[in-house]
Amino acid sequence: MTTLLDLDGIAIRYGGNTVLSGLTLSIDSGEIVGLLGPNGSGKSTVLNAITGFTPLASGAIRFGGRRIDPLAPHRIAQLGIRRTFQLPSMPTRMSVLELTMASSSAHHQLCAALLRGRATRRIEQDTHARARALLDQLKLAAVAHLPAASISGGQKKLLSIACAMMTEPKLLLLDEPTAGVHPNLRGELIGELRRIHGQGVTLVVIEHDMHFIRELCDRCVVLDRGAAIANCKPAELDKNRRVLDAYLGRSHRAPRPLEAS
Amino acid sequence: MSSFLVHLLTSVCLYAMMALGLNLQAGYAGMVNFGFVAFAGLGAYAAGIASQLGWPMPAALLLAVTAAAVLAVATARLGRQLSSDYWGIATLAIAEILRTVALNESWLTGGAQGIGGIRPLFAGLAAPWSDVAFLALAALCLVLVYGGYVRISSSRFGRALKVMREEPSLAVCFGYDPVSLKTRASVAAALPAALAGALLTYYISYVGPDVMVSSETFALWTIVMVGGLGSNLGVLLGALLVQSVYSFAPFLKDWLGVSSDLAGSARLGLVGLMLLACLVWRPRGLLPERLETLS
Amino acid sequence: MLQFLLDVLIRTSDLLLVSVGLSTLYSLIRFPNIAHVQYAMLGAFLSLAGQRAGLPLALSAGVSCALVGCLAVLLNVFVFTRLLRSGSAVAMIGSLAVSLIAVALMLATAGSRPLQYTQDLRAPLTIGGVAVPDAQAYSIACGALTLLIFSVLLYRTNLGRSMRALASNRPLALASGIDASRVTNLITFASGVLAALGGTMLGLTESVHVNLGNNLLIPAFSAAILGGLGNPLGAAAGALLIALAETVVINVDFGSLVGRSMQFFPVAYVSAVSFLILLVALMVRPYGIFDREVRRV
Repeated sequence: MTTLLDLDGIAIRYGGNTVLSGLTLSIDSGEIVGLLGPNGSGKSTVLNAITGFTPLASGAIRFGGRRIDPLAPHRIAQLGIRRTFQLPSMPTRMSVLELTMASSSAHHQLCAALLRGRATRRIEQDTHARARALLDQLKLAAVAHLPAASISGGQKKLLSIACAMMTEPKLLLLDEPTAGVHPNLRGELIGELRRIHGQGVTLVVIEHDMHFIRELCDRCVVLDRGAAIANCKPAELDKNRRVLDAYLGRSHRAPRPLEAS
Repeated sequence: MSSFLVHLLTSVCLYAMMALGLNLQAGYAGMVNFGFVAFAGLGAYAAGIASQLGWPMPAALLLAVTAAAVLAVATARLGRQLSSDYWGIATLAIAEILRTVALNESWLTGGAQGIGGIRPLFAGLAAPWSDVAFLALAALCLVLVYGGYVRISSSRFGRALKVMREEPSLAVCFGYDPVSLKTRASVAAALPAALAGALLTYYISYVGPDVMVSSETFALWTIVMVGGLGSNLGVLLGALLVQSVYSFAPFLKDWLGVSSDLAGSARLGLVGLMLLACLVWRPRGLLPERLETLS
Repeated sequence: MLQFLLDVLIRTSDLLLVSVGLSTLYSLIRFPNIAHVQYAMLGAFLSLAGQRAGLPLALSAGVSCALVGCLAVLLNVFVFTRLLRSGSAVAMIGSLAVSLIAVALMLATAGSRPLQYTQDLRAPLTIGGVAVPDAQAYSIACGALTLLIFSVLLYRTNLGRSMRALASNRPLALASGIDASRVTNLITFASGVLAALGGTMLGLTESVHVNLGNNLLIPAFSAAILGGLGNPLGAAAGALLIALAETVVINVDFGSLVGRSMQFFPVAYVSAVSFLILLVALMVRPYGIFDREVRRV
């Protein structure tokens, strides 16, 4: 098992606020890791740090052994790291299919656009076919020609995943993929993500839905106020005192009458 | 009458070329440029200066597009530092400064007098055929530019621009470098404008600081907004409408017997009113941008 | 030296009123209103019209300011609010259109020649050996006084508090019961009055002409952006900085630098100076030198 992503003592500050402090985390190739924690614990910030949207105050992030934290976010994306957003915001003047085709960023030279030689046309056809296939898989074929902003929230989540998959990423970071998705569709989503994982993609998933985590993740990392307080299998979570304290507050430890522990 | 029509159509072709460039930069790349006329002005002056030095036309055109490309790269890179509102004001200021340079550096630009007596392109032909030949040339250039732009909008590059204009974070997540995209889009936008500016110089055998006056940018914005921001076909319609208004306004001077001040202001006011009316009632233009159909 | 100081103060007061109004308004309307500089031009012309109609200049200026203030509110309510629904870029383009129409109207009614107010020909005041014409003294005094009143309005009244609340956190301000359109319209009125007053003063010290607004565009915006849009006192400081830079550049003899006996900066490029200062400042501190600009979320 090779280490794919390595967060080494990273710290992030917004103004005077320390959002992440000395976080160290290692993700191996082929894992599915869940990232949990109460609101404000810094989960989205971890994703922003990995993808280069937020600069580090200290520490380093390595991807495949190579340091990526000083790189610009688009360079990090080109290295094979893709992410989805908690509240996906889609363009209003592009169709779902066009957006999916656009998410593959290779070969977008201006001269190629103008000359449109045989190679360019073939790449276009390939992109088109791949986009269609992904939309079919994610049950978005029916909305392929609608404006991307007009589809439902759950569909936008699926579209984000389709876009992320266009380039066969090595690492896929998902920010609350089930939020806003109908409970009936969650099973399908789990199946989709397992299939993607089967194609060799490493997943890091921020989630609150414990059932989802238990079904999908090999391992969980729990954050509280910017630090990791647990790193274990999903089944072990509800026995972890620190996790319970973080989520429920220390008052949960008050003696409960009539309870067999 | 027909010579008036030839003149009108020629100016439609030239302004359409410039407006297509603005449409690309502002409509596709989302860069709101209030000094766009600077590209056309640079092209016009480059052609004038080169022609005065005796350069053949192709060399003059090359100088024109090179100068505009340099300005395009410089202003696009400036955009990295400035937010889009400020960038719009900055482009306005840059265009004004360039006009001031044109007005004052007589050794280069002829100052307020401009550069006149430029050898026309089809001097060998008798009028009106020289005008018709020029119209054919202008129309040919327009067709080439339009065709190129249609290709751009349905290409990967065009798609990248479309993502970037509405959702820049998403574009970055897809692996696009916004600065690189904006720079290339700016250059692609500046080239037709410079070409049109250069052709204009040859057409009227003169170039002066008025080619870069800010009301020219407003005319281009009116063309783009009336047609529909982001719509290439809309630009053609917009150019036809605005240039018709522009060309008829001087007749007011004759019909109503008004002073030249008034006629000048009538032109300005009409363009302003067109723009405002369009923005209030048809912000998406007469031929709004449609979703790209991909079979 | 005193002459230099006077020149700086005059130039500052030229820019002050317009840039303060511009900056304040931006924090509420969230787009740069290019038409604002034309309020100054219109104010100057209306004051002139009033004076030609027989009113004393002070009264005429007052009426002119009130009228321009009303115009600003009308434009805001009927045009800019509507355009803002399509985005701030459309609103900015719309403000350019309004600006163009304003210039066209004035060009048609008043022509392109510069005009002057009728002023009593009095010997200028002499302070410390420097001649200070009446007009310039009025302009500086007016600018300083208005700035003082405006600051009091902004920092000591309920209106000012509401405005600052709206500017820094709009949803929260609305939720606490602040009437956004009333506040915005009142502040729009005040900015229009400021601009008109600034224009009248400029007409007094220079002349009244259709390009009065256009000439103010780059320096006033530079001053407002330098101070941080949404920070009115910052705009005043920005105006001072720009005035200082321009005056220095025009007056300094660069001869020693270029090896000639006398080499002055060409006056035509003076607006380039304010623009260059702005560019450099924005590279270093994108939210204005005081870093207190209202950020758009």
